[in-house]
Amino acid sequence: MTSPVDITPFMELAEVSRVYGSGDTEVRALDSVSLSIWPGDFVSIVGPSGSGKSTLLGLLGCLDAPSSGRIVVDGEDVTALADAARTRVRGRSIGFVFQQFHLIPHLDALGNVETALLYRGVRPADRRERALESLARVGLAHRHDHRPVQLSGGEQQRVALARSLVTEPKILLADEPTGALDSKNAANVMEILGGLRSPERAIVIVTHDNGIADSAARKISMRDGRVVSDEATTP
Amino acid sequence: MSTFRDLLRVSLSGLAARKMRTVLLLLGPMIGVAAIIAAVGLTDSAKGDLKAKVAELGTNLVEISASSSFGQETPLLPEDAIERALTVTTVETVASVRQLSNVLVTPYTEAREEFETIPVPVLAADDVLPDVLEVDLVAGRWLDAFDESTGARVAVIGQSLAQEFSYLPGENRTIELDGFAYAVVGVLERVPLEPGFDNAVFIPYRTAGDDFLDDELEPNKLYVRCEEGQEDLTAQALGVAIGLGGPDEIAADIKSEALELAAQSDRQLQLIVVSMGLLAIVVGGLGIANVMSISVIQRSAEIGIRRALGHTRRIIALQFLLEAVAVGIVGGILGVLLGMLAIFVGVSAAGWVFVMASWLAPAGVALAVVISVLAGSYPAVRAARLEPLETLRLG
Repeated sequence: MTSPVDITPFMELAEVSRVYGSGDTEVRALDSVSLSIWPGDFVSIVGPSGSGKSTLLGLLGCLDAPSSGRIVVDGEDVTALADAARTRVRGRSIGFVFQQFHLIPHLDALGNVETALLYRGVRPADRRERALESLARVGLAHRHDHRPVQLSGGEQQRVALARSLVTEPKILLADEPTGALDSKNAANVMEILGGLRSPERAIVIVTHDNGIADSAARKISMRDGRVVSDEATTP
Repeated sequence: MSTFRDLLRVSLSGLAARKMRTVLLLLGPMIGVAAIIAAVGLTDSAKGDLKAKVAELGTNLVEISASSSFGQETPLLPEDAIERALTVTTVETVASVRQLSNVLVTPYTEAREEFETIPVPVLAADDVLPDVLEVDLVAGRWLDAFDESTGARVAVIGQSLAQEFSYLPGENRTIELDGFAYAVVGVLERVPLEPGFDNAVFIPYRTAGDDFLDDELEPNKLYVRCEEGQEDLTAQALGVAIGLGGPDEIAADIKSEALELAAQSDRQLQLIVVSMGLLAIVVGGLGIANVMSISVIQRSAEIGIRRALGHTRRIIALQFLLEAVAVGIVGGILGVLLGMLAIFVGVSAAGWVFVMASWLAPAGVALAVVISVLAGSYPAVRAARLEPLETLRLG
C-alpha cells in the first residue's frame, strides 16, 4: 500500500517478532512483521486461528512488548517502554472493543463509558457530559442508566464502542467486534464502525469473518505468524 | 487530588455493588474491635466507681505528719513547717492542723455524762484547709482570718457529728468543749481522703491556744497540694525541707495512693481478654485477605479492561487497597459502637460505672484500618500483577 510521504503513520511495526517460551518449546507467534497504520485507515486483519492475529493485536494495543523489532505509536517508540509508560500510551492513543464486550457489570452504561476517562484530571461534570455525548454517538443516550444485564448484546457492544471513543483515540482496535452478535446486530455495529471513519482516526478490526473483512478498505491476511497479503479491498 | 477522588469513587462503588461480600468483609474488623473495646471497657468499668473517685479527688495530695519519736507524747512539726513546705517548688498550697488531746465535746452541758465516753477529735485548723482538701461546706462558713486574729470561740463540725448532735443547717447553736461554749458556724462536707474529719470539730489556732494549750501552737499535720504528677518527688523533698536534718522524724504520705491501687483494673484479666480480641481481629484480617483474593479472581475481566483503558498497575493496586481502607474505617467504627453497646449492657447488668478511656475509640478504628490494609495488600498486589492480555482473552 502506498501513502503520501508527508504523512506520518499512527503506528509503525518494523521487523516485529513475538516469541513465547524458549528452546524446544519455543513458539514463534509473530515472525518479522512490518506494517504501518495510517491516519484514516480502515483495516481488517484476517487469518485462521493460530495465525498470530491475536498476538499482533496485543502488540498493536500496547498490551504486550515484542521479542524483537521496533514499534512506534503516535511518534513514540514503545518497544522497550516500562509497563506504566506503555499503559499511558495505551490510554492516550488506543481504544479497544472486544468480542465479549467486557463491560463492568456493576456499573451502568454511563459509568462504563466514564471509566475510560478516570485518572485523567477530568472534572466529574465534564466526564459525565463527554460520556453522554459518546453514548449519543452510538444511539444509546436514552439508556445511559441501564446496567449491562439490562442491555441486549448489540447494545452492550455499542456501549463498549462509546467507551472506546470517549477518549478520542487515534487508533480504534476491534477484536471480533461482531463475533458474539446475531447478524442484525452485527450489521448495526459494523455500520457504526464504518461511520466512525475519519482522517484523524484509524480503525483496525481483527476478524476471521471474510464478509466483515471485506467491508474494510484495507485487508491484511496472516498465516503462521507472517503477513501474507496487505492490500486494498475491491468494493 | 482528582486521581484520589476518582479512586475513592471507584472503590466505594465497587463495595456498594457487592453488598453481601462487603458485609462479610466488615464483620472481621468489626467483631475484633468490638471484642477489644468491650474487654478493656468492662474490666475498667468494674472499678469504675473507684476510678471516678480518684479522678475527682486528684492524686496530688500529700500528707505530712510528725512521726512519734521517743519520749514525746504528741509528735509535733516545727512551728514554721508551712513556710518550710512552701520552699519546695512543686508545692502549690499547704494547710495545717493540730490535733488537741483530751477535750470533751458535748452538745450541751446536761448531756455531758452521755457523751463523756465518746471521743470526738478536736483540731485547730487554719483558714485554707477546705481549699487544700478541695471540699465544700454543707452549711455556714469555714473559720476565717477574723476568728483567728480575735481568738473567737467558733467551731466548724463534720457532717456525721452534726447529725449526732442533731444540728440543723443554719441553726444558731453552741456546743461545749471542756465546758466552753463554742458557736457552730459551719458544717464541713465529707472528706473522702480523710474520713476522720467527718466526726471532728475544727476551731481556730488562737482559740485553741487560749483555751486548751499552754505551749506553742505547732501543727502536727500538713496537707499539701503539689503539681500533678510530681507527688513522689514532692513527698521526698518535703521530708527534707521540713525535717531539715533535725531530730524530728517526718512522714510524707500520698493520700490517694491506696485508693489508686484499689481502683486499678485487673491487668491480667484485661490482657487475656484483649489477646482474644486481637486474635479475633487477626482472623478477621485473614478473612479479608481470603474474600478479597477471591474477589480479584472474580473481577479479573474488570481489572483487564481497566488496564486496557489506561489504568496503571499502581492505580489498580490503590483501588483495591482503598477498598480495604474503607472496610477498615467502617468496620472499625461499627466495632467501636458495638463494643460500647457491650460495655453499656454489661455495666447496666452489673451495676458498675461506665468507663471507656478516650483513646480506645480512635485506637480501635486505627487497628481495624491497619489490619485491613495489611490483609488487603496481598490481593491488591495480585490484582495489579494481572496481565490484561491474559484476562481479556483476545482473538
